[in-house]
Amino acid sequence: MSAEGATSLSVIGRRVPRVDARERVTGTAVYAADLALPGMVVARQLRSPHALAIIRSIDTTRARALPGVLAVLTAEDFPPLPTDATVPMGETGYDMWMVAELNMARGKVHWVGQPVAAVAAVDRETADAALALIAVDYEPLPSVVRIADAMKPGAPVLHDRVFTKGVEPRPQNPSNVCSRVVISRGETARALADAAATATISAEVDTAHQGYLEPQAMVAQVDANGFATVWTSTQGQFTTELMIARMLGLPQSKLKVVPLEVGGAFGGKIAIHGEAVAVKLAERCRRPVKLVFTREDVLQGGSGPAIGALFDITVGADRDGKVVAIEGTYVLDAGGLPGLSPSLLMQASAALYQTPNLKLTGSDVVTNKPRTEAYRAPGGIQAAFAFEQAMDALCQKLDLDPLEFRKRNASVTGSLMPIGTPFPSLGLTTILDRVGEHPCWRDPLSAGRLPRGRGLALGYWRGTSMTSAAHITVAGDGRPMVTMGPVDISGTRTTMAQVVAEEFGLSVDDVHVQTGDTKSVGYSDGAAGSRVARTTTAALVEAARDALGQLRRRAGEKLQSGIDDVSYAAGVFRTSRGGAISLAELMQATLTEGAIVGRGVSSKLPLGVEIGAHVADVEVDPETGQVTVLRYTAFQDVGLALNPTAVEGQMEGSVVQGLGWALTEGFDYADNGRLRNASLLDYRMPTALDVPRIDCVIVECPVPGVPYGVRGVGEVPIVPVAAALANAIARATGVRVTKMPMTPERVLAALEAARQ
Amino acid sequence: MSTPVTFKVNGITYRRDVAVGDTLLDVLRDGLALTGTKEGCGNGNCGTCTVLIDGAPVNACLVLAPEIAGADIVTIEGLSDGRTLHPIQQALVETGGTQCGFCTPGIVLSAKALLDANPAPSDHEIRQAIAGNLCRCTGYGKIVEAIAVAAERMRGGGA
Repeated sequence: MSAEGATSLSVIGRRVPRVDARERVTGTAVYAADLALPGMVVARQLRSPHALAIIRSIDTTRARALPGVLAVLTAEDFPPLPTDATVPMGETGYDMWMVAELNMARGKVHWVGQPVAAVAAVDRETADAALALIAVDYEPLPSVVRIADAMKPGAPVLHDRVFTKGVEPRPQNPSNVCSRVVISRGETARALADAAATATISAEVDTAHQGYLEPQAMVAQVDANGFATVWTSTQGQFTTELMIARMLGLPQSKLKVVPLEVGGAFGGKIAIHGEAVAVKLAERCRRPVKLVFTREDVLQGGSGPAIGALFDITVGADRDGKVVAIEGTYVLDAGGLPGLSPSLLMQASAALYQTPNLKLTGSDVVTNKPRTEAYRAPGGIQAAFAFEQAMDALCQKLDLDPLEFRKRNASVTGSLMPIGTPFPSLGLTTILDRVGEHPCWRDPLSAGRLPRGRGLALGYWRGTSMTSAAHITVAGDGRPMVTMGPVDISGTRTTMAQVVAEEFGLSVDDVHVQTGDTKSVGYSDGAAGSRVARTTTAALVEAARDALGQLRRRAGEKLQSGIDDVSYAAGVFRTSRGGAISLAELMQATLTEGAIVGRGVSSKLPLGVEIGAHVADVEVDPETGQVTVLRYTAFQDVGLALNPTAVEGQMEGSVVQGLGWALTEGFDYADNGRLRNASLLDYRMPTALDVPRIDCVIVECPVPGVPYGVRGVGEVPIVPVAAALANAIARATGVRVTKMPMTPERVLAALEAARQ
Repeated sequence: MSTPVTFKVNGITYRRDVAVGDTLLDVLRDGLALTGTKEGCGNGNCGTCTVLIDGAPVNACLVLAPEIAGADIVTIEGLSDGRTLHPIQQALVETGGTQCGFCTPGIVLSAKALLDANPAPSDHEIRQAIAGNLCRCTGYGKIVEAIAVAAERMRGGGA
């Protein structure tokens, strides 16, 4: 089994329907907002109307006095948290003082929509009436909404405890630049000066939203012994538990987080946004409390959107079309609190080109907008929008075919990554060959009434591994019952049922898979970084072999044979002397001998880096600036597709999210920091009429040292989308659109600017 | 202020006192515990709360409760007996047309309204019929495929 037996797989690699599909199509899948407990009351949060203001005082007297109000909370009800108290998640973890600010502002508000108080009341109307009775005395301050303004000398400094990280010596004064990263090797400036051709792209990307259809929702209950249970929509129940525990000063043994079905997340449901507040309210009013966000709550500051950014990318090549230097400046808009390190997206954007000289400089900057969070390869699509346009413009200057240009410069296994270490196994050249053979590239673009163009762009995402735990018990009828730590946001129950069925030689229908709560399964990191299928596969291969080892010992005793003489295949244990007992018979015969529990943990799995290449055909209406996507093909190396339908589902969904951001989705902030399009009418996500069928080409170059050779899948297919469209638009019109989303107004403006 | 209304949901007749400010979505989810109908926006923009009233797809969040007097309402809970799925549901299972599942009940009902009126829709007609239902996971392709497969089966072609 595992990678070496990849040719004889019977369940892995099949198009198995989702094991949880019936609940979904019948509407019986349970999401947090569907939960109703006896005596349950309703919570609501009061949100800031200001982008930057000191909270002088909050008077909750009148709200508390309103009949039907059971509890009112402000930041005073939570312990203050020190800087640098982190909880683990990813490379850097989450700094708890910031997580606390997402749930309840303390002393100062930093964006419109930041929560400042919360109430629990017998019903929604009473809760809303109570919010209106809370008097907050604000002292509004001049705010900074645009990144460029936040970096100007004399700009208001938003946080007195934020000093620029990554600068030596440590700065004396606080700054809106939260971190600075420089990745450099060679002589970039000189190489660019000597290059046969160079191209520069300066691009701007608006903040956008993950757009999950299920608003944040949670239910909290505290029992008579002070044990709290939280049912919530989260990408990671253990991260949620740690965050709640830290924010409340609660021992983890007094808290259980139960992850329910997640109605979309895409990175936006890692941090808590009210869970700790709901627990505190439940404790105060001694009743279960439900907190469900409205869509306006989600969009107007209640959740974390995706980072906006400014980029300046210059690339140069020699006469043979070999890249000689890459120079890039990446400025990220974190929103109201320090955000991601720019490092990963900087590296990702440049990763797929070999170059002797490179200098990338990144900054993470705070502004008075909602604190941003991850969104599917966080920063990847934004950076690729600038970077892949620069590469495409360079091809045009050299008069080279864009595919041929990429082939000449493609990173390969062992070539240097931007940070100077060698690449692990990488199938880029295989993908590029597949693009060249495919009709989406070979077929000439058919002529239309309007200008048409074809664009190519590449995408890379490193992903992560982190920790996944799982265990397998065996039911009395011999069927494996899997409890895994990772939350299922991408069909994980199905793919993991396939893995366990493969290991046990059974069918998928014989395996039951559930995600455990924080008190019923081992610590696992959240579902993020394209890590879950890979690491949970590794954990379950280990758990299955552990369980089968225990079962073989039992079978040996029953069949009066040594364990080494017992073999297992397809649900039956056999000895060399002809003895045999089925898994079901063995479990029935040994039911009273104690549980079989096979355990597995994966915490140091090699990376399964993700690569994709996308080809888009577009038509541009020069009168209106409207861009229509005619054809779209996504190529991706997935290592091995555990379930091709699930892989396509990730790819198609990613591409359409990318098309949305590329063409229509952008947060429109007024100068006072208020979001002007805080509804799903004005924040325009793609409908079925806006997008073509997405064609997917799955390439399989397995990762060595990883069970079944699986790579990450879910993030990279969003990365090249906006760049592929921009490159197609440039080929159609001769004009580069460098503002994203590339709305009709912006396309038209770019066309008009080029005419003058 | 409340008012009595009589209406039918999934074939069962209910008589309820409803608050005049409540919506059909409140009546279904809170009053009747039919939580298969989801709330994604509360403004009629996302389609997750789509139900059928007298066969036509509507956003339940935009219908005031007093307006449902005499209405014949079908929700996702009314589409199958739990053993045999409706062909649209079955096709969504098979094609991978449901991922997170939050939009799925609304999609199923919009598709049912389409196929009840038009047994052989084109790709464009299918996309038109679900254009009021946002889906953020699938990119729509496998949903459109599922509805086409269901249409064919309901016409008697295919399995």
